[in-house]
Amino acid sequence: MHDFFLPVGPQHPALIEPVHMKLRVEGETVVSLEGLELGYNHKGIEKALENRSWTKSVFLSERVCGICGNFHTSAFTQGVERLMGIEIPDRAKHIRVIVSELERIHSHLLCLGLVAHEMGLDTLFHYIFRDREIAMDLLEMLSGNRVHFSMNTIGGVRRDLDTENIRKVEEGLEKLEDRLYHYVKVFEKDSSVKRRTKGIGILSEKMATEMDTVGPCARASKVNYDIRNEGYLTYKNLKFKPVIGERGDVMERNVVRFKECIQSVKLIRDSLFSIPKGDIALKLPMMIKIGEGLETMSRVEAPRGELAYYVKSAGDRPYRVKIRTPTYANFHMLGHILKGYQIADIPVIVASMDPCMSCTDRVTLVNTKGKETVLGKEDFHKLNGGHHHD
Amino acid sequence: MISELLHALVFPGLVSAIIFGFLYEGILRKVTAHMHSRIGPPVWQPFLDFVKLMSKENITTKDSFGMIMTFAPIISFASALTVLLFLPVGGFSFLSFGGDLFIVIYMLIMAGLFFAIGGFATGNPFASVGSVREIIQIFAIEFPFVISMITVGLMMNFSVSPFFAWQFPFALFSFLVSVQGKLSLPPFHIQEAEQEIVAGPLTEYSGPRLAMHELAKGVMVWTMISMGAVLFLGATNLLMFAVNSLALLFLLIVVRTIFGRLRIKQSLRLLWYVVGPLALIDLARVLLGIYI
Repeated sequence: MHDFFLPVGPQHPALIEPVHMKLRVEGETVVSLEGLELGYNHKGIEKALENRSWTKSVFLSERVCGICGNFHTSAFTQGVERLMGIEIPDRAKHIRVIVSELERIHSHLLCLGLVAHEMGLDTLFHYIFRDREIAMDLLEMLSGNRVHFSMNTIGGVRRDLDTENIRKVEEGLEKLEDRLYHYVKVFEKDSSVKRRTKGIGILSEKMATEMDTVGPCARASKVNYDIRNEGYLTYKNLKFKPVIGERGDVMERNVVRFKECIQSVKLIRDSLFSIPKGDIALKLPMMIKIGEGLETMSRVEAPRGELAYYVKSAGDRPYRVKIRTPTYANFHMLGHILKGYQIADIPVIVASMDPCMSCTDRVTLVNTKGKETVLGKEDFHKLNGGHHHD
Repeated sequence: MISELLHALVFPGLVSAIIFGFLYEGILRKVTAHMHSRIGPPVWQPFLDFVKLMSKENITTKDSFGMIMTFAPIISFASALTVLLFLPVGGFSFLSFGGDLFIVIYMLIMAGLFFAIGGFATGNPFASVGSVREIIQIFAIEFPFVISMITVGLMMNFSVSPFFAWQFPFALFSFLVSVQGKLSLPPFHIQEAEQEIVAGPLTEYSGPRLAMHELAKGVMVWTMISMGAVLFLGATNLLMFAVNSLALLFLLIVVRTIFGRLRIKQSLRLLWYVVGPLALIDLARVLLGIYI
């Protein structure tokens, strides 16, 4: 049977976000992933961050992603706070954990709903999205926003929660937990789901380590890699233990995500139980100043895996912010988990990786043919409008 | 002469087929939506889609054969419609002669085949994958479908007439499974899997040509349900026919909402190794005369 190229994306009904995959296909079997083009969604946020004050940068960094925006501000503010050498109040830490974990639930449910949609089981897709609304409503109640919560600020959080909020969150979690346990059963036992996910897109432990896979994809392949292990914010006190899977196929990745949601429910409950009284933010000057040239690396565990921010200061604004998103790290293993499976499995495998293009497209290369240019420090200064001389 | 024309053009022919085809498709979409906990489109949405598509232009890409793209959906539609003329819908049949069951079987294959040919003619990689899948699906479905049709056919001398197949549960079951497949509803919506191959054979279709495809699909829903209601549930009058066809429609919807998509190999395995042999049991029973 002759082979041909199957273009997937940048416009494709299964992958709603723009990414182009060039697959070599023989009949119905995928031979290899020949090309992967990112960058359709480049927004220039890293550059734009260099022209804003520290406080304004927080709001821009949230706009990197619409699903995990709160994690971006968590990582960024954590980095800035480390540069300033300040420790945020305990109550703020608790609120950050609560919002993060609620966001993790809605992000995971989005991914799992899409996996169900990709395997043609629209009923399950609609049910999961209906239950995702519980988490969305709780987040709207806590932050006032449905999507970009704007909860984090340098030195703490921007909104407090009262006893009424706590009661409602607990009620919502009760409902959510029931449904989550139900879905774990569906994804583990239902024959229609099992037929499409079991033994598909297997990522071995060795491959996962070699390809620097992060997040639920790595944990489903027995790799114990979770930044929450390091105990930032209050995770140390919450006695956090990551969910680890065994087989590394699509089914395992789904089940790991559901179990992480259940774990998040428990983490939120514990946080609500142990939340201390006190301030929600430190009182900081309007214009924050940080010593020039100070730099730091700040990491948090976003829903899709390790999210890393490199922040270097230029006094009243960032000199450079580099964002390494989890999806970017996970793309390295995509070619390996697609190889040898059917065309029908492509959307399910890609969705089980939970790619987020909006996060990933940080760098765009225009016309890479021809001469190669190397930019030095001085060139960057020029590009930066000649603002900084050090 | 006039009554024959009326039969061909109004009932059970052209006009009623279009109206009921679209209506049943509308009901299918609406009830599915409710089962998904969505609101869904109004029942008359397929009519609106058809009218709107008819008013748009045809786009013929560089690699495609416009002629085949125009005629493939029309032939699909015509074959689905012709089947209706042989069915005694509501007790009176218009065209009926001994052995017309085979014409029905052939016509139904034609409808699927021209759907695939229409896909090949577009020269799109997604369409050609979809068309190959459609051909494989025809091979997979025809086995249980034809066996179950012959089982009831033997009982009525291969002429299409009302028959209630309560003695033959396996034949009934395999007929229902193959209806799901012929209408490419879940779990057999492999050739039009939007997440995998965009719209399959329909990827390059637009305007009136797509409208004709929609029409063929709507009439196909009506035809298959009518066949089930008459040939397997034995509707002899209009009331029975209405009850049977709506019950069948509901069954289609329930199956459609609870199953995900199969892979092409899984579909072949299911239809050839499980559903087909079950139908053979009933065929053997008819041939050996072991039934009540």
